[in-house]
Amino acid sequence: MAAPLVLRQPVLGEDLDGVTAALTGAFAEVRAAVLDERPVVLVLDDRDLLGQGGVVDAGVATGMLGLVRAFALEGVKPGWRVNAVTHRGDAEDAAVVEAVAWLGGSGLSGQLLRVGTDHLGKVWP
Amino acid sequence: MSARGLAVVTGAAGGLGTRIAARLAAEGHDLLLVDLDPGVAEVAAELDGGETRALPCTANLTSAEGVAEVVAAAREGGGVSVLVNNAGITRDGRITKVEESDFAAVIEVNLVAAMRLALALEPLFGDGSAVVNMSSRASLGNFGQANYVASKSGLVGVTRALALRWAPRVRVNAVAPSLVDTPMTQAMPPEVLAKLVARIPAGRIGTPEDIAALVAFLASEEAAYVTGQVLLACGGRSLAA
Repeated sequence: MAAPLVLRQPVLGEDLDGVTAALTGAFAEVRAAVLDERPVVLVLDDRDLLGQGGVVDAGVATGMLGLVRAFALEGVKPGWRVNAVTHRGDAEDAAVVEAVAWLGGSGLSGQLLRVGTDHLGKVWP
Repeated sequence: MSARGLAVVTGAAGGLGTRIAARLAAEGHDLLLVDLDPGVAEVAAELDGGETRALPCTANLTSAEGVAEVVAAAREGGGVSVLVNNAGITRDGRITKVEESDFAAVIEVNLVAAMRLALALEPLFGDGSAVVNMSSRASLGNFGQANYVASKSGLVGVTRALALRWAPRVRVNAVAPSLVDTPMTQAMPPEVLAKLVARIPAGRIGTPEDIAALVAFLASEEAAYVTGQVLLACGGRSLAA
């Protein structure tokens, strides 16, 4: 199996002008990977998915989650595998790294794996 | 100024935006109708009158100048009680074929312009104001619309973040329609449209009035305890197989 592309959500802070480039760049990278038959795991900040961080980063995080869904749906026939793992401020946390490795090697697609328990009792993004 | 204050509606020159504007006027709002299409002036002329004051604003919301024009017009109107971020475009295409420029254009109009306008209008929102962002059922995933899906999904996160940032002064929510009877769907081949409608548990296509009613509800005092939420208006399509 080809090595997965692990793509971390960029942190833009207040850089509203960076949103389009960030999402378009993510789209291009994911597309290139799936066409190269590589699985993809996006690593997203769960706080941004819930809107608990900045406005710009929330738009990017949930936009990237949309990409996971779009690629997974359109990739059913060609067998693309595109998933996401969340963290809460530390993308290098051991549990996050383990989840990324596992999901990247799985046959799953369109999944959102939320590491930790802080998301419980909150909306599903 | 009307008792319920000024409602700013983007993408108001036709389709859903016009119906939303008409509904908000019926609820007692004055209107600032924004669109890139100069035809928005005709819509404003139709809705202006009686107790409603409706002003057009032709502006490109992807530019700082366009946003500044809307802000200036809203300031002249005495502040904003409702913002409906409705302006949007589609540039559909399979993931393997869609051009990056088309991907970027949809993100810029549907997501970034909405963020830019909401943030720019923030000083003009009074206590109890409401923002309604038009997301889409497609935010949950749709074939041939990766750019649209990302933009409308992005709006969901923006809705949540703005809701938390501005609470308790301003409420921010989103409506996520599915198939709605607009000029865009009317242009579809009938057999394609029939297939899509067959997948809607409600058994029919949504009407602009269905969606406008939800926008009016979220903008109203009746939704005073609702913020940061996405209201799916899809006739059950988001549940069906």
